[in-house]
Amino acid sequence: MKEKVLIVPCSGIGKSLGSVAREGAYVVTEELCPERTRLMPLALLVLGDKETQTELSSAGAIAIDGCVRACAAKVVEGAGGTVAHGVQVLDVCRRHPDLKPSGISELDESGHKLVHALAEEVKELVDNMTGEVNHA
Amino acid sequence: MPELPKKKVGLIACSGEEIPEGTITRLAVRQVLESLRPEQTVTICLPLFLAGGEGDRAFARFHPTITVDGCEKRCAARGTEMYSGKPAVSIVVSDSACPNSAALGSARRLSETGKRAVSDVADQIARQVDRLLGLKGKALTDRPVDSSAAREKSRSQQSSCSCGSGIPSQALQVAGREVTLIALPLVFAQFREAGKLPSDTTKAQLMQAVRIYNLIPDEEASAYAGTIMQEYAAFCRGSN
Repeated sequence: MKEKVLIVPCSGIGKSLGSVAREGAYVVTEELCPERTRLMPLALLVLGDKETQTELSSAGAIAIDGCVRACAAKVVEGAGGTVAHGVQVLDVCRRHPDLKPSGISELDESGHKLVHALAEEVKELVDNMTGEVNHA
Repeated sequence: MPELPKKKVGLIACSGEEIPEGTITRLAVRQVLESLRPEQTVTICLPLFLAGGEGDRAFARFHPTITVDGCEKRCAARGTEMYSGKPAVSIVVSDSACPNSAALGSARRLSETGKRAVSDVADQIARQVDRLLGLKGKALTDRPVDSSAAREKSRSQQSSCSCGSGIPSQALQVAGREVTLIALPLVFAQFREAGKLPSDTTKAQLMQAVRIYNLIPDEEASAYAGTIMQEYAAFCRGSN
């Protein structure tokens, strides 16, 4: 059985785009690609949890960051993992200039639309990584 | 006149995305930041201790810190102590809010029990904030902990995090090695604004101010003082 792709969202707590990153990760791991992905909490990597680091070293990871500090990508690399793709929510936002998300604890409608746009982009990356590319 | 940051309590949630208790930490911290104690609290994302700079890592040395963890692994408490400073208070949701994890809902969607746990943990945090700032009584009178109106208001507010606004720091060469001193640029600016010229008296006062934010070993204090004084003299010349 193939290793699942690890989806590592940032732990953003102060900005809407951090919430978008986390919600996007939930949509990918629970709805779009539940069989091929697994969500990895960043806090465990910050602490240097051995079990988590071992898991990280044997699978490709997609880091989703809500701001330019790119904590998720940096911490994955620092823990010995490979960031197959680093996704910046800000870039997704730029591709959807009509969406202006707000809210942190609860995203607004625009935020939820951005979540789904992000999740679709991440799903494409997962498809490429797992060889399930839709050529139609 | 430049001011050093006012004393606030730093809140750090583990934010564990895999378990409902992690979601409770995040939402409870947001509730305190946005509605219960917005003037008295700040936050920072835990991973910034690794991914950020020296200013980010100074967070728990600047602010008395409350860590809020979802489980007994205590990533926020241990990570904060490892990289920044020992937390003043450590709260673990699985110990305090609800011993029955299954009743809390999922990490993505909390049940009503889970939402009640958010409020309980937020109240617990707010009480600790008051205790740490010596606000017992006053803050509770001004802004009741159990205020549903305040909680509702939080939904439309956007309080910012400390990401990207790390405490300014400056690297110096002391006794042949590079050290980074937190808040040194602010201390220099404050002294200059107060008209304190380089002198032995100023040197002693500078060291006192710098030591509030930095751990300086006694045996190296003299070397630090000499270098800091040189830098301050250069700072004053540059700002004339």
